[in-house]
Amino acid sequence: MKNFKLGNEPKITSGFTTPDGYFDSFSEKVLAQLPKQETKVISIFGSKKVWYFAAAAILILMLSIPLFNKYSNQQEEIDTATLENYIAYQSNISEEEIVNLLEQDDLDKMKLDFNIDDATIEDALKSNSNLEQYLID
Amino acid sequence: MQDEKDFIQELLNPKTQNAAFQKLLQDYQRPLYNHIRNIVLNHDDADDVLQNTFIKVFKYLKDFKGESKLFSWMYRIATNEAITFIKQKAKRNGTTSEAMQTRIVDNLKADTFFDGNEIQIKLQKAIALLPEKQQLVFKMKYYEEIKYEELSEILGTSVGALKASYHHAVKKIEDFVKNN
Repeated sequence: MKNFKLGNEPKITSGFTTPDGYFDSFSEKVLAQLPKQETKVISIFGSKKVWYFAAAAILILMLSIPLFNKYSNQQEEIDTATLENYIAYQSNISEEEIVNLLEQDDLDKMKLDFNIDDATIEDALKSNSNLEQYLID
Repeated sequence: MQDEKDFIQELLNPKTQNAAFQKLLQDYQRPLYNHIRNIVLNHDDADDVLQNTFIKVFKYLKDFKGESKLFSWMYRIATNEAITFIKQKAKRNGTTSEAMQTRIVDNLKADTFFDGNEIQIKLQKAIALLPEKQQLVFKMKYYEEIKYEELSEILGTSVGALKASYHHAVKKIEDFVKNN
């Protein structure tokens, strides 16, 4: 080996070998270990069906708007009789309190309302059976 | 190069992925095995590293930018995996990777999957004494017959530096063989 020159020697191989059939089964061994493909994410808006359902739902909602308004308004209306009964029997407001609430303007308006012509007063007095008592007073 | 781009697209497309990856395995399992085996020396270790290499290739394929050839990129992964493997193995055994390699080479005759004569063993022993980088360059150039340009892409070293490394390695190996 005195004049050993790598370039002059026949090619020296590594000498490594593999078990029989090693490469035949290698692919399968690797493929079995590959991470499973990520679960496909299917968009719910991908299918036509969903759009049909969405359109139907919107249509139903739109049609039900007048119906909704009708029922909700009814609930808010209180009939006049109920209201009168409430004021007559449930409220504790005295006449004096009501008077205090009246402004000067309101009083003036009320005065105007009392501008009743004499004939009407006479009629009213005539029909009033307590007239004599009033005169005495 | 266009073919390679198409092939990469096939590897990334879930529909063609399996068939394309099988082709990749068929084309590269032998050269990559030889490359890894030359570094780790033992068949069982080479088998482990080769599997990990392909799994990593599959995993990181989507990040492969095509800046280098697929071939170079895979060799780079294989090289890193193999070197990391021997370093970790040496650490586990409380020794250095150089000492571990020398021990493996000394026992090559007993390896079931080594069929070499005296000169082949002598060459392995001579290589085991080289610095890590020179070992790698020598094995890839001499055993695997990879061109300097491709070596440069795989190892990220200039062609000039690789040639220098190779010639240093050859010189040291020849000296070793002459003196032993």
